[in-house]
Amino acid sequence: MTTALKPDHDVEYELQSPNWSSIWRKYYRVWRVSIAERMTYRADFLLGTFLRMLPMVTTILLWQAIYEGSGENILAGFKYREMIAYLLLVHISRMFSSMPGLAAGISRDIREGTLKKYLIQPLDLLGYLISYRAAHKVTYIVMAALPYGIIFYLCRFYFDGIPSASICAAYLLSLILSFLIGFYFEAAVGMVGFWFLDVTSILYIVITLNYFTSGQMLPIDLLPPFWAGFLKALPFQYMAYFPAVVYLGKVQGNELIWGLALEAFWALFFAWLARYLYRRGLRHYGAYGG
Amino acid sequence: MQSQSPTHEFFAARPSQTWKRYPRLLGRLGMFTLIRELSLRGNFLVKVAVEVLWLGILLAFYETVFARTTMVASWPKQDYLFFVGCFFAINGVLETLFLENCNEFSNLVRTGDLDFLLLKPIDEQFLITCRRVDWSVSPNIIMGFCVMAVSLWNKGWEFDALRVGLFAMTFTCGVAIAYSFMLVLTSFSVWLVRNQSLMEMWWLFSSLARYPREIFQRGWANSLDVVFTYILPILLVVNVPSRVMVKTIEPKMVGFIMVVTVVSLATSRWFFQRALRSYRSASS
Repeated sequence: MTTALKPDHDVEYELQSPNWSSIWRKYYRVWRVSIAERMTYRADFLLGTFLRMLPMVTTILLWQAIYEGSGENILAGFKYREMIAYLLLVHISRMFSSMPGLAAGISRDIREGTLKKYLIQPLDLLGYLISYRAAHKVTYIVMAALPYGIIFYLCRFYFDGIPSASICAAYLLSLILSFLIGFYFEAAVGMVGFWFLDVTSILYIVITLNYFTSGQMLPIDLLPPFWAGFLKALPFQYMAYFPAVVYLGKVQGNELIWGLALEAFWALFFAWLARYLYRRGLRHYGAYGG
Repeated sequence: MQSQSPTHEFFAARPSQTWKRYPRLLGRLGMFTLIRELSLRGNFLVKVAVEVLWLGILLAFYETVFARTTMVASWPKQDYLFFVGCFFAINGVLETLFLENCNEFSNLVRTGDLDFLLLKPIDEQFLITCRRVDWSVSPNIIMGFCVMAVSLWNKGWEFDALRVGLFAMTFTCGVAIAYSFMLVLTSFSVWLVRNQSLMEMWWLFSSLARYPREIFQRGWANSLDVVFTYILPILLVVNVPSRVMVKTIEPKMVGFIMVVTVVSLATSRWFFQRALRSYRSASS
């Protein structure tokens, strides 16, 4: 009788002592399902990507007019070609760091009570969401390779060729860290939903401010020295500005190592903050609705 | 003696009387959406704050640019800021009155709720594109006019009734042309159902309209200038009203924008009605 009630060995193992391998398998499956989901609207996605890049044409023309108007070849350390390359590279940075709907989704789960699905299943909210987002990013990058490849090929004259292997490695690392900063920052904003229920208003303001402070509109160096210094002390620059200037070789040597270390620090800080707010928030959580 | 229903009265009214009802109806719809918006005052104020913040960022961008140059594509700082204000005001009008309604149209098609709107005894185009007023973006109109006024003040502009009159007329034409573009894009929803990329297309069009024509008048971009001025005339929307106020008045362009307004309004209405004829209710 005792033997009959004893759970199957594997099940017991899964339930009582999950190891890294089982955790990895679990989130790998989430990743695969999310990839399949993302591939559903391929045509709409490709059209959308092309259309999103087309305003870049007007940006190129605007900066051409600005450089001609100034009569200078270099503005704030950026030649005209570098400026256009920067604005193109910012699109790549945002491809990694933008997390549309993440914070709003977390706050909706809290508000509607659907968050409890993470509490009654052996599934961590942040673990699930990062697997889901990573899958979306991988499919986005793979599918955007064609339109982006065409656009970058057409704009190849704005680049000084492919940088050295070490710069490329640093660039890739800065992009991965920008993904982590973007993810955990938005997740932390979403966790505020435990206290405010609806974070949409906060999110509107954060997105608008982030657009400017991350250097998406123009390189931070163009701003007056005080504001440039101030914005470089904030973590938002790592979501757009920093990876782009790493690729352009404007940050090198010790400055590059220090920049990457700071970026890693902010990624860890936001990971800790999101986790901390999640744990504290669960104490407030009432599981309404559902 | 038979009593007549309001619908019967509506149809029985003379055409001139019928058309007079539309401004009144628009006012009522606006009042209704304002009351609804103000029931969530906090949210409304935050949305307004975001618009103010966005204008602040845009002005900070141009302030940074003009700290490095005195001229952008033959537009001095104050003239350029007038252009920015004009774009903000026109975009504000479009977003306040039409954008949300047009965005909603594909949902109406997909769910079949369009049936209920088509049954109403009123012009379909009016009801579909004007039934909700998005008051949270309406301050953009005021902010746009404030930016224009400040730039004219800083420029030392002297009052000229002719320019003001032409500006009012071309500003209205600009709104009408942009509305026509939006209506055509919206109409595609009847066939495509999902219109996410169509709205991206609208964003693309509006991003073209936000720059002076002169930035397109160089090298390979000349073809864009020709296409988006004479074939898909989205570049006229902000350029013509801005130019009549701060640059030399070009009678040809003023005449051209009037012709384009009439043609685009008529074409977009025809296209919209053609799309409605292809509509099959979701439930059938």
